[in-house]
Amino acid sequence: MSGIATKMAKGQKQIAISEFFEKNKHFLGFDTLQRSIITAVKEAVDNSLDACEEARILPDINIKITKVDMKRDILELQSQDNGPGIPQKSIEKVFGQLLFGSRFHAIRQSRGQQGIGITGVVMYGQLTTGKPTHVISKIASESTAAVVDIGIDTRKNKAIKSNQDRMIWEDDDGSIIEHGLRVITRMKGKYQRGRQSVFQYLRMTSIVNPHASITFTDPEGETFHWPRVSEKLPTKVDSIKPHPHGIELGQLQRMCKDSSDSRMTVFLRQNFSGVSMRAAKELCDAADLDVGAKPRLLKPDHVRALLESFQGERTNNGKAVKLLAPPTNCLSPIEEILIKKGLSKTIDSKFIATMTRVPNVSHGNPFQVEVGLIFGEGLGGDKPVEILRFANRVPLMYQQGGCLLTKAIESIDWRQYGLDQAGGRGVPKGQAAILIHLASTNVQFTSEAKEALSDNESVFEETRKAMLEMGRGLRKHLEKKKKMAKTREKFELINDILPAIAAKSAAILNRPVPALSGSITKIMSAVICEEETEWNRETKITDVKITLFNYTSRARSYSILVNWPEKAGAEITENERGGRKEAMGIWGWKIETLEPGEKALIEYSLTGLEKGDWTETEVFFRGSQDVIGATKLDEKMLTQIRADEAALNQIELPEEEDEEEDYLPSTVEGNPGQATLFGGEQ
Amino acid sequence: MMSRVNDPELTKQRLHAVVEEMYDRIVKGEPPTMTLPVRTKTNIGFDKKLGVYKYGKKRSTRDATNLRSAKNLLRALHVVEFIEEMIEAGKSSTLREMYYISEGWGYGKFASQNDSNNLAEDLEVVTSCLREDFKLRPEEDGARMIGNITLEELNRRGQWMRINARDDVGDSGYGVPYNVEVEKIQLIEHDVKFLMAIETGGMFDRLIENGFDEAYDCALIHLKGQPARSTRRIIKRMNEEWDIPVVVFLDGDPWSFRIFASIAYGAIKTAHISEYLATPSASYLGITADDIMAYDLPSDDLSKKDIEALEAELTDPRFADGWWQDQINMMLDLGQKAEQQSLAKYGLDFVTDTYLPEKLGEMGLI
Repeated sequence: MSGIATKMAKGQKQIAISEFFEKNKHFLGFDTLQRSIITAVKEAVDNSLDACEEARILPDINIKITKVDMKRDILELQSQDNGPGIPQKSIEKVFGQLLFGSRFHAIRQSRGQQGIGITGVVMYGQLTTGKPTHVISKIASESTAAVVDIGIDTRKNKAIKSNQDRMIWEDDDGSIIEHGLRVITRMKGKYQRGRQSVFQYLRMTSIVNPHASITFTDPEGETFHWPRVSEKLPTKVDSIKPHPHGIELGQLQRMCKDSSDSRMTVFLRQNFSGVSMRAAKELCDAADLDVGAKPRLLKPDHVRALLESFQGERTNNGKAVKLLAPPTNCLSPIEEILIKKGLSKTIDSKFIATMTRVPNVSHGNPFQVEVGLIFGEGLGGDKPVEILRFANRVPLMYQQGGCLLTKAIESIDWRQYGLDQAGGRGVPKGQAAILIHLASTNVQFTSEAKEALSDNESVFEETRKAMLEMGRGLRKHLEKKKKMAKTREKFELINDILPAIAAKSAAILNRPVPALSGSITKIMSAVICEEETEWNRETKITDVKITLFNYTSRARSYSILVNWPEKAGAEITENERGGRKEAMGIWGWKIETLEPGEKALIEYSLTGLEKGDWTETEVFFRGSQDVIGATKLDEKMLTQIRADEAALNQIELPEEEDEEEDYLPSTVEGNPGQATLFGGEQ
Repeated sequence: MMSRVNDPELTKQRLHAVVEEMYDRIVKGEPPTMTLPVRTKTNIGFDKKLGVYKYGKKRSTRDATNLRSAKNLLRALHVVEFIEEMIEAGKSSTLREMYYISEGWGYGKFASQNDSNNLAEDLEVVTSCLREDFKLRPEEDGARMIGNITLEELNRRGQWMRINARDDVGDSGYGVPYNVEVEKIQLIEHDVKFLMAIETGGMFDRLIENGFDEAYDCALIHLKGQPARSTRRIIKRMNEEWDIPVVVFLDGDPWSFRIFASIAYGAIKTAHISEYLATPSASYLGITADDIMAYDLPSDDLSKKDIEALEAELTDPRFADGWWQDQINMMLDLGQKAEQQSLAKYGLDFVTDTYLPEKLGEMGLI
């Protein structure tokens, strides 16, 4: 564990702008007393989640806010995690210098992206109360924990340490804490409830971090707990190098100046993603640069020319230099099943639809959009739906109206999905919440406050597509529900009402009770399919039962197909009827003859899933007579699924049949993660 | 004239026919059914012999192919059984009691009292019996009546009580019981020139306070909105047995037109017994669409529902005559409706001193 902690500390550079903070605290989320405490919690929690994720630890986070001085609005914030801890010698850097942190210089999806971080909290606490921040840090390789009070010299951007010590760190119950971090800060702040509150921030955080266990004690002493609902840590993301399409002049100049590479081609290939050997040469040609030039010695005009060839303004034989898309494995989507879990742990749900799009690229920056829609109890009926916005798993709580994600929601006609919406535009109303998560290496905000995403056509379009695709799933679900309600009525009719009519009429007339089969066939005159997907508490697997009733006067023959979450790792077992796999996530059975009045039963179980992962099975059929409760199989769709599957396998092959040189591709093996027609996950 | 069967065996026989229809269909391997006349305005026609509107020949089949109808059939069976039990035991029950008793009928339980009322009517229509034959009583109370009318009512002790509806009653008048047939009410004598049926309690009380019944030798009946069967029936009996004219004084809106039609021509829901309830010679006094203009009455805009109701009335065979078509169209053009009590614009005595004498004069009644 200490290895990771030390390594994390090593990759960090520093920028001295402590004074900047004091002058610009409104940008940094410390402009009002209400907001300051939320920002402080946010920085602490973001840090904890990021550290745990890097160290592959399932986070347990504990936040406690107490009122210290009512009259002067002084609050004490205590945050504690079970993360890797910080080595003693790095504590002062992590807590005492602004914009310190590995993530500021790396390109990948991370929470605090612009890296104001926990130092801002230390500084705010000091500015408003004059008190230092108390830190206890324990790394696994040391037997005792480091204890220190950290203050900041805002002019020199340096930490002021005091009361340094080491101690055996025990939890409240007396057990030794192996690794973790506790931060206690006093600050001026006002605790409030509602839409913009610490509570809401933690609730939203727990939705998109289903792997985290979060406990919160508010100033009234009330404790809230959002349990861990998944043991699966977010995918480990790799840093990627910048893509030429996403670079700015200043950054390029700096990279050239800092480079020790001997040739331009090496520099371009090793410091950028998406640049093949051929492309490196072509970029140099387009910029009128010698491929052997030393990057460090480039003149400003040359750098500008290089940038222009990056952007396609300078061309090679009249054509912009073709670059590969950046790799997208630097993104960590939450993924559909986990979004479902996260939503359902905080909202008592009736139905959830989710959609994770395939990663896309905008201006050289990979990004990925995920959406979720939840219909639930306790959500305002005639009020606008709750909008849950997230960027890189960080809740966005302010400036909802000005955010790109809100605009995307407003552009969709939600009425077809059972929500109220005047004129088919604007934020819809109803007992629902809409979640949007943007994962990106470079989230563009409208301002330094980092609360609203700025306009970007590609992101907007992706978000719209995600919601429309999710909506299709929802509409299908609603149609199915309607059909099933009708079917249930018919079953009630033939199972309960008709026998009662027969019995009662026979009793009144004093005649024998007549047989019902003829009437039943006439009343139903259909083939009916019932599907039941249920979590079996005892065996801890998902049981599926499909019953096919033939209420027609002729014998029938069908193929029955179902979907199952094969990509999420589920396997079919206890499948006595056999059948065969028809495509990725599609299983089929043949039912040769189903006599009039008879029923056929298909039963199987799904392993490799957790409770709530799979609650509804889609049933398809091949056959001439319509089946109520199942969808006629669209053979084109099956072909499409098979084609997607083939395409997915293709991607795993090397992307370029590149030539020569001592170069290791910065693109990484593995496929970029695909969504299927059924909305499965990678 | 009476549709009442008054024969328990015949009633049971007719109810059994309904049950047999269902039973036989099941035996044949078909969904059970119940066939009954269509009970909408599209299936009522003027019966020249009776002088009222009756159901036509259109039949609808209620079959058990959807849950709603199937439940209705099952309920009908329970009701039939319940009626037979009451006939055997010599008991009777109110429609509301039957609704509560249905709690014990399992799948045949009524969803609302409206359902049970409708089903009782359905059975009346199918069997040509009256609910009195079924031993079912309405919950609704009848009208109030004031005027120099003498009748005899059989009281709870089984004695005939002589009552004069002017001298033996207080200001609230004589309360008309739910059963106004000869075994319960005998019309003895009267000294009135006409009967006036009045929609609202406020107007009824106004005319009493102003002594209108004595000043103009008439009897006043408060309809309480859409009149109960017993109200319509006693109006009919007085009109027929004593040969006294009936005028109807209502609000001026589409719903009042319907009230009048149910008194004079027969109600759509009870068209199977129109000849027993309707008074074809009754005439509409007001408020008419003309009155709103002629008397410049305070009025309200027609609501969307009002307009829909008026438009439906234009195609209702009961309003097919020219006078009604004019009145309905005039109200639609005017876009206004007025209440009876809007006459108070000109003072409390205006209705009795001016409006009614003028209108009754036009009708040739005074």
